[in-house]
Amino acid sequence: MSNHPSRERSAAESSDNKLIQTEVHADADSDQTNSSAKTVVRAEGLSVYYDDDRALNDVTIEIPEHRVTAMIGPSGCGKSTFLRSINRMNDRIPAASVEGELYFHGKNVYDDDVDPVALRRKIGQVFQAPNPFPKSIYDNVAYGLRVQGQADEVDLDSAVERALRGAALWDEVKDQLDESGLDLSGGQQQRLCIARAIATDPEVVLMDEPTSALDPVAASKIEDLIAELAEEYTVIIVTHNMQQAARISDRTAVFLTGGKLVEFDDTATVFEDPADDRVEDYITGKFG
Amino acid sequence: MARNEYQQQLETLRADILEMSAVVCGRFRQAIDAYEAKDDELAQEVIDGDYEINQLYLDLEQDCIELFALQQPVAGDLRFIAASFKIITDLERIADLAVNLGEYAQQAERDRYPDVDITHIGTETIGMVEAAMAAYADEDSQRTYDVAAMDDEIDAYCDRTSRIVVRDLLDGETEAVETLLDDVSRMLLTIRDLERVGDHAVNIAARTLYMVDNDDELIY
Repeated sequence: MSNHPSRERSAAESSDNKLIQTEVHADADSDQTNSSAKTVVRAEGLSVYYDDDRALNDVTIEIPEHRVTAMIGPSGCGKSTFLRSINRMNDRIPAASVEGELYFHGKNVYDDDVDPVALRRKIGQVFQAPNPFPKSIYDNVAYGLRVQGQADEVDLDSAVERALRGAALWDEVKDQLDESGLDLSGGQQQRLCIARAIATDPEVVLMDEPTSALDPVAASKIEDLIAELAEEYTVIIVTHNMQQAARISDRTAVFLTGGKLVEFDDTATVFEDPADDRVEDYITGKFG
Repeated sequence: MARNEYQQQLETLRADILEMSAVVCGRFRQAIDAYEAKDDELAQEVIDGDYEINQLYLDLEQDCIELFALQQPVAGDLRFIAASFKIITDLERIADLAVNLGEYAQQAERDRYPDVDITHIGTETIGMVEAAMAAYADEDSQRTYDVAAMDDEIDAYCDRTSRIVVRDLLDGETEAVETLLDDVSRMLLTIRDLERVGDHAVNIAARTLYMVDNDDELIY
């Protein structure tokens, strides 16, 4: 199947926040992985092109629910492209096009009847550099709920508190919720962004190098938080820091140059006895 | 190749451990010679030399810890350093057993048990250690199984010889039993120590198999 996300963006994103027209439920048509956890995201022969350049090459993978899955590989290997393809953030790049299928709970997210905005409510994202809005801490967290029209349906105060607690930030900011999110430290800002991402109660949280802009202490708090998040959410994290992948993930996917997924296994296996010699060479630093 | 200095450190560690094993096996063979020849001076050399091996062991242990801490090794590198870290402990213990053998050599009454061939057991078991270290050096997993198989033969031989000694004790006259007791217990300890050397050789083989094939079959 071929797809041209940019063309359908405006129609899809202007929809009135009805979820995917074919409603996607957590238990609908889910696959089972051999590691006993349910598959929440599954790619089948997924390729992503930027114009004629293939950034992701025929990737097939099953990502288990309530686990931390790490994506590692050298620069330009396609790992961030893969991450962005899960919640259709690549739609925002006009030159990007997608081949193959990407299933979220058994529903191909590139089907015409899928609303990317609704999809992103289920699959939140945290970026490399903390990027809070120039708004109060409270408004940063409430933003998604308001935009998605959920503000009237839920108790906003308790939803904000729940998200900030979930991001291990509540105790540090509960007395300054009206202050600007930009006044927080870098590590706090990133946790604020995590709170913003989980406020809309997604099932999957995508993280693209979420600690690379942070000092080691702030980074370790985020790492602790990621482990806690996995109890409630499925976390997929792209990282350049292999030790971080080893420390925090249950499963590790290794992408190598050319956008190919060359190994996907339990993290302990990848770092103790990788099956592919190229992976061995990459993670031991013999190339890359 | 990236991380050149790190790769160099791994090669240095490998070379240092092979050197330690050469020293340990050399000492052990000296101890066997001292026992065989009842050469108290040679035995004393083995005993006095142990501190060097202890120091070598501590230095190599520190090298491994530094590699873990500073390089965070993974995959084949991780298994190599982890296996090496365990193997140096076995080598250090073998050196301790060489010291024991040196002490037995100084204390032993010659020819009391002509049917017990200490030299044979010692030569066989230190040969197992050398074979295990050759497997480590050459990353030869097949050879690790050979070492494990040799240990069964040595265990059986040690069992037979121990029985000879005990039967000698049981068959002796009551008065003679009292006078024999020291020699018997020392001989049993000697056999047991040599048998332990074979066990350490199997440990080295087991860690080597893990290092080469990520296979824990020989690790008990």
